[in-house]
Order: sequence, then structure tokens, then C-alpha cells
Amino acid sequence: METGIVLFEITKPPLSSEDRKDIDPNAGRFVRYQFTPAFLRLRQVGATVEFTVGDIPINNFRMIERHYFRGQLLKSFDFEFGFCIPSSKNTCEHIYEFPPLSEELIHEMILHPYETQSDSFYFVDNKLVMHNKADYSYTGAQ
Amino acid sequence: ISLPASGFSSLQLNVKATLKPEADKPRCSSTPCSPIKSTVSGYQILHMNSNYLVGFTTGEELLKLAHKWSGPEKSNTEALPSPVKKPVDLGLHRASRIYKAKSRFYQPYDIPAVNGRRRRRMPSSSESCFRSLAASEPSKALHGPLPLCLLKGKRAHSKSLDYLNLDKMSLREPADTEVLQYQLQHLTLRGERMFNRNKT
Repeated sequence: METGIVLFEITKPPLSSEDRKDIDPNAGRFVRYQFTPAFLRLRQVGATVEFTVGDIPINNFRMIERHYFRGQLLKSFDFEFGFCIPSSKNTCEHIYEFPPLSEELIHEMILHPYETQSDSFYFVDNKLVMHNKADYSYTGAQ
Repeated sequence: ISLPASGFSSLQLNVKATLKPEADKPRCSSTPCSPIKSTVSGYQILHMNSNYLVGFTTGEELLKLAHKWSGPEKSNTEALPSPVKKPVDLGLHRASRIYKAKSRFYQPYDIPAVNGRRRRRMPSSSESCFRSLAASEPSKALHGPLPLCLLKGKRAHSKSLDYLNLDKMSLREPADTEVLQYQLQHLTLRGERMFNRNKT
């Protein structure tokens, strides 16, 4: 955050009605990242997310994200967005404080790509409305 | 950091580095901070700092690649040995069949029925079928084994946070991913439980 180094910026244009017909709505629930080993040396990463809201107001919007390595929990993150106005575009920033990682664990995470995984659970009024997954490689290889 | 499937139009990652900067390295004509404009499954990548991030793939792209390499004339599953003995052909066939099914539902923790029976697996377990697929030359484009959640989809059901007790879970507890996922699948809404209780 202090250095202002931007790691990644991505955007997704809204789909046309034609495009929506051909796309599985669940296909976007998984993403895969390929980081370099240097990423594991970071201590804090900020993620700015811009999202739009439909016609219905959203109460108590919340995301809980958990990161695992080989089934062991690394850290759980809890972000509360609060109330979201209907038909609005919102920007929020998540600050990920990395957990302490031993040299041995870092070594293992690099050696075993895609065995670091995360689950993101989205809640509205304490009801689960969406679940996404991601996995990660730190070898630096594409 | 998973990107939501819809409604989220952009994601920007910034970093706060507390470590000292490394010594200057010679730069080539293509600097690591050059903006890379490419499109992945509808996402447009505006910037990628290759000092930290070298690749980004969506589930849709992985399925396309799996489908592309699942044909019998392109399979090369004997190229590298698999640590677990499982029929690779089954995995290849499964990827192709599931991709063509275009399931409208998403349920990441079940696997397709085999011989009429459903089985459960830990999604964090290695898929040896797909590991062999990933290890072979043509499947390098898959960037590793396919995650289980791409094999079949079911619509996520709305559940109550109360029953998950996520707020009360201690981080010191071992990560029981499978238990949490099992709970997600078997929770009932508070209203439904009260209704059933009153009926009895």
C-alpha cells in the first residue's frame, strides 16, 4: 500500500444478452493465479473491487474468505461491506494481512502448485448467496 | 482472492511491501511492469506485474483446454508416471463429458456418479487423473490439475450463517475444509426447521 505497486488490474465488461446465452453462469466461480515466489514475501496486499448492485438493496453484505494449504487453514479473512444501495456501483478495498509463514512452509507452497486454495463465501443478511474458489501457484511458471 | 462470477467489474491489487527493495536488475525492452492487455474469458487484463504475478486463468478457460486435449488422438497420458494408480482415461473422458453437459448447477464437492453411486471427495485432494493429464506435454496449457469444482455444477443454496458458526471458529483449529463444506451442503433454513418442529 505504501509503495503503491500495482500487481494486477483486471476488468470485465458487461455481457450482452447474446453472450449470456452461451456462457455457463457457474464458469466464473473459479480462478487460478500463478504467482512468483516473491509474492510469498509480501506482508500486506490490498484488493480494490468495484461491483454493481441490481434493483434490490443489499443488507449486511459480507465476505468471508479462507485460505488453505493442503487442507490446513492459513488464515481466514472477514470483510463487511454493509448496506449497498440498489442500482449502484460500489468500490471497496480489502486489506489482506498475510499470516506469518515459516521458511519451510514457503518452500512447500512453492513446491506444490495449486495446493494452496481459497474459498470465498458471500453473505447477504447472514444468508450465503455465492461461493467462489481459487487456487494458487507460486513457482513463477506459466 | 477469488473474483466474483458476476456484477464485479474490476479488481485491482495493490501491495504494501515492508521488505527492502532488491538491487536493480538489468531491464530488457519488455519491462516487468509493462501493461499487458489480454483477454481471458471476458476479463480484460489491464496490468500484470510479472515480478509477482505471471498468470491468471479462469475456470472457463481451464475447461476449454481440458476439452481441447481430451480427444483420444491427443491424449498423452503415458508420458509421465502418476503417483497414484488410477485410470487416466476415465479422467479424460470425464472432463470431456462434463464439459459437454453444460450443467447449470454448481456443487463443488460431489463427483459424477460412477456405476450409479455418488462419492464424496475432499476438494483439496490431488486428482491423480488430472495430474497425469496436467503432467503430459499437451496439458501444460492446463497449468496443472483441474480443480474438482469444475467437474460438476449445482446451484448454490441459500443457507443461514448462524448454523455455520463461522464467527466462533478458532483459527487454531485445524482447517476442516471437508466439515465446513459438508455443513454448507446439509444446512437447513431456520424457517424450515421451525416449521418441521411445529408439525411434530
